[in-house]
Amino acid sequence: MLRDKRLFLVVAVLLTVAMVVSACGPKGPKLAHEINLNLGTEPPTLDPALATDTTSVEVDESLFLGLTDFDDETMEVIPELATEWKVSDDGLVWTFTMRKDAVWVHYDPATKKFTKKRPVTAHDVEYGVKRTLNPETASDYAYVLYIIKNAEAFNTGEITDPAEVGVKALDDWTVQFTLEQPAGYFGGIAGMWVARPMPKEPIEQFGEKWTEPGNIWSNGPFALDTWEHENRLVLVKNPHWYNAKNVSLQRINYVMVVEASTAFAMYENGELDVCGVPTTEIDRVKADPVLSKEYYEGPYLCTYYLGFDTTEPPVDNKLVRQALSYAVDRQKLVDTVLKGGQKPAKTFACPGIFGTPAEDPNFVGISYDPEKAKQLLADAGYPNGEGFPEMTYLFNTSQGHQRIAEFIQQGWKEVLGINVVLANQEWKVYLETVETDPPAVWRMGWCADYPDENNWVLENFHSTKGSNRIKWSNPEFDKACEEAAATSDPEKRKELYAKAEKILCVDEAAIIPVYYYTRVVCNKPYVQRTYAALGNEHYDKWKVLAH
Amino acid sequence: MTVQERAALRLQERPRREASLWRDAWRRLVRNRAAVLGLVVVALLIAVAITAPYIAPAHYAAGDAADEHTVPSWLAAVLPGNVAAYAKINNKFLLGSDFLGRDLLSRIIYGTRVSLPVGFMGALTALIIGLVYGCISGYYGGRIDDIMMRIVDILYAFPTMLLIILLMAFFKTSFGGTPVPGTPAYTFNQINKAVDSILGLRGGGMLFIFMGIGLTAWMGMARLARGQILSVKEKEFIEASRMIGASDMRIILRHIFPNIIGPCVVAETLAIPGYINYEVFLSFIGLGVDPPTPSWGNLISEGAQALRSYPHLVIFPALALSITMFAFNFLGDGLRDALDPRMRGTS
Amino acid sequence: MTQYIIRRLLWLIPVLFFISVVTFALLRAVPGGPFDREKPMPPEVRANLEHYYGLDKPLPQQYLDWVGRIVLHFDFGPSYSSRSRTVNDIFAAHLPVSAQLGVLAILLALLIGLPLGILAALKQNTIWDYLGMGIAVFGVSVPNIVLAPLLILIFALTLGWLPVAGWGTPEKMIMPVVALGMRESAIIARLTRASMLQVIREDYIRTARAKGLAERVVMVRHALKNAFIPVATVLGPMFAALTTGTFVVERIFAIPGLGKFFVTSITNRDYPVVMGTILLYAVFLVLANLAVDITYAFLDPRIRYK
Repeated sequence: MLRDKRLFLVVAVLLTVAMVVSACGPKGPKLAHEINLNLGTEPPTLDPALATDTTSVEVDESLFLGLTDFDDETMEVIPELATEWKVSDDGLVWTFTMRKDAVWVHYDPATKKFTKKRPVTAHDVEYGVKRTLNPETASDYAYVLYIIKNAEAFNTGEITDPAEVGVKALDDWTVQFTLEQPAGYFGGIAGMWVARPMPKEPIEQFGEKWTEPGNIWSNGPFALDTWEHENRLVLVKNPHWYNAKNVSLQRINYVMVVEASTAFAMYENGELDVCGVPTTEIDRVKADPVLSKEYYEGPYLCTYYLGFDTTEPPVDNKLVRQALSYAVDRQKLVDTVLKGGQKPAKTFACPGIFGTPAEDPNFVGISYDPEKAKQLLADAGYPNGEGFPEMTYLFNTSQGHQRIAEFIQQGWKEVLGINVVLANQEWKVYLETVETDPPAVWRMGWCADYPDENNWVLENFHSTKGSNRIKWSNPEFDKACEEAAATSDPEKRKELYAKAEKILCVDEAAIIPVYYYTRVVCNKPYVQRTYAALGNEHYDKWKVLAH
Repeated sequence: MTVQERAALRLQERPRREASLWRDAWRRLVRNRAAVLGLVVVALLIAVAITAPYIAPAHYAAGDAADEHTVPSWLAAVLPGNVAAYAKINNKFLLGSDFLGRDLLSRIIYGTRVSLPVGFMGALTALIIGLVYGCISGYYGGRIDDIMMRIVDILYAFPTMLLIILLMAFFKTSFGGTPVPGTPAYTFNQINKAVDSILGLRGGGMLFIFMGIGLTAWMGMARLARGQILSVKEKEFIEASRMIGASDMRIILRHIFPNIIGPCVVAETLAIPGYINYEVFLSFIGLGVDPPTPSWGNLISEGAQALRSYPHLVIFPALALSITMFAFNFLGDGLRDALDPRMRGTS
Repeated sequence: MTQYIIRRLLWLIPVLFFISVVTFALLRAVPGGPFDREKPMPPEVRANLEHYYGLDKPLPQQYLDWVGRIVLHFDFGPSYSSRSRTVNDIFAAHLPVSAQLGVLAILLALLIGLPLGILAALKQNTIWDYLGMGIAVFGVSVPNIVLAPLLILIFALTLGWLPVAGWGTPEKMIMPVVALGMRESAIIARLTRASMLQVIREDYIRTARAKGLAERVVMVRHALKNAFIPVATVLGPMFAALTTGTFVVERIFAIPGLGKFFVTSITNRDYPVVMGTILLYAVFLVLANLAVDITYAFLDPRIRYK
């Protein structure tokens, strides 16, 4: 409720501001054309084929266009470079028709001059996809494209002829994909950064340095002006983009401030226009007469969960797992530790993902119930936690994860009377540990690559097709996931995914979904912005009022 | 008995003079007000660490998240800014509580069980390794000395922090978790658990911090010890003992050690604040003790991020740390003055 | 003298060899690899990546390849976590920033530490002495983790005199330089005081005074010069440590220096960057110490190198 009220307030304030300002003159609100943002860290790469992280993707979204895009609010697949697409009856062949007015531009930061190079064509799409899949490119994220026919075989070196990969430019403006199996979600995949058209010329000329300012060709609403590594990155408006007349921002100034409290101090000092709010500052911000008006909480398509090693005693027993899940007071965690309006989770996939029963009132998930938790643990043979073996809860080194771990550990001790040892490892070691020799309990987050349950239940927990770090195998679950992936009827798919989620999170309690993420930011009152639920902001739609 | 032999025997009685030297030093130490203050504070800290379970108002891990971030009312009254607008202000906790409603005072008190051992164990490890290494090198001299000192030079060229991080990552991952019984990793794991339980902590991984700091801190001590040895080794009484056939071991332990231990102890006392600071740095980069065990390092680095909203979380731990630093510095300075009257007053 | 310098420079070779071997071995002994990702990649893709970087070769071969590239092409290798850049690029971009910060901090430390130490020594056991040394102990007692946010709170957010963070303009440099220099100035002040006290008791000072030289001349020409020698000794390692980057200050003030690489390259398992930074530090340390030793010879005519 509170969340909605605030949202309403923000909208109301913005509207008022807009009305007042527009009333001043006939030309509409006076605009400033620059915005100062924090990128958080140095983007590891700007090459769409190599990007794996949100920072790189955030910048790539402004530089490179995809065939498709996601609507900011509905998360539906919408056209971008493609004007329309057709799917064959068997669901295997996807044909995209492309717009003819997108061009590659080269921007010279020294002279501040743009040069139109040539149109973006279907051949660039074919080149881009094949480049990502080429083993020599060594793209981390190439496997996202494995749904394309022979993509996996080519990427893993089983076949060497790129011509066999199921992507082909039929003419300059038509590109055709052939898939391994029908996939209703391919429209979203076709717009992902790894599948974007790429410019052959600078890549061949400059090799790995093609993404440096002055070398790079891009086709999006903005172009790269400056990239001072680990310090700042500047994007400038691309006047040759087909929709350039509707782009208000002339310049995006990114800084790379890792320390969240420093970044927020910069925001308060007027050095940043938009900034994430560190957890420890949320209470103060909400109570502050000025900052509270700039505060925003909104959904973000990620889920925080705890995984088990379902082969290791005592958590090989589903009663123990259920007891642990019932003993996590998610609402209190949100209210006292997280503070950002996150929602207690009862499913793996968060609201907004196609197929998730997260907001289905008929779906009864696990929520905090200390009595039931105690009963379940007693049924498992550990009344009041007696005789419960020592168990490790592992998380990767981070203050945020540590706080959650300490909260849950405290709750388990209180409700169930069991002692859990907390341990943390730095990220790389952590990943290897969870992959090869997981402890009894560990934390992980999952964010949508594309908003479909397939990206969640099947890709994570299917016993053979998913990463299955929980070492779990449930034939009924596997079957539901597989059937749903190959079905095109949306209602049928929803039903199957609801069944899979129930097995995963309730009946077997193979994981403990903890909460659905939110995005917690402050925006200066003069920023008129959109919020992309998938996280890749569309700055071409943002406006900054004169201030 | 020749004259020389008799002289040698007389010189062997030196240890008795040693005792009075220590007594003199003690007398000089207690006359130095700053040093006495330092000594008292250090003694108090040790007492707090030992009696933590009895004097702390609560266990360090106990609390209710409903009491999160309470600010004591006496502090809220003097803090600038508008704490009352967003934080709970009450007198439930003398120094306030953290994000899980745990008593900050108790956590600072238990924190002495991490920070003090880190300081002392760092100093002790450095002292032992450094003394042994330096003594061998300095006493035997020549080729051995050359090689041993070159090794120290090389180790010096490692950036200390990078080496500690690497070692910590190595220890934590190789010896943490649940290794297979019978392997060296298992032994280390068990020692680590034993260390934690001796300190009365639930899982902390203290051993790895001791090892990380100890293994990188002994080189300076080795150089110092060697230098000291070179200066006493040629003295008459050593020559004399050698003449009457004392073994190398005996000469080192009985004659050289007592003469060089003073400056070495002083140097390590002055180094203790540095080791305590290492722990703060390790906590800052997330390689400190495992939660929920509190250390001054993790209290401070967590608190520093909340400096604007909940200043109590950083003020009190930082104060505790600073007082400790002052105490060790005063004590170290006083010890040096006391042990070496010629150096009196020369910082 | 020249011979001595050449010998010291040659000494670098075994140093670099030894520490690179140890670091290489330690790095590979720690579990976790550069390509462990949140979304686990298929083994084949991982194999592609490892092949791309030559990580599929035997370890000794990898080490020799690495050494070979440095010796033949002065190429320290690619960075795994920043794929369009090489280690050489990283040094070129970030070393100057750290060096600038470090040199300024040391200058500030000398500017504060030397006068404070001299004052304390000359007015030994007076209020000046206690005050000076109190400040000095305070300087080493407050960790940067606290000092840096405190500076931001006071000078940027409350007084509004300085920008919060960043690098490039003089006003952005003030707070980081102060945060970094405070601690070092405390160390220098204590050392200066101690060595001043020792020097002014030496016979030649007494002689100089007896000769009837003005007190100021005695102090400046005779005492100070000699008292500076122990201070110079710590300047070597201090210089090496500060100019190659300082993690905490750079992180809190968002400074694009080299310090972060000493930590993040290890957590990222970015092997070439770790190896590169460790070599860089060693070279700096050895050279700085050499510079200090040469300075000795000028300061103290009694010291002669062969």
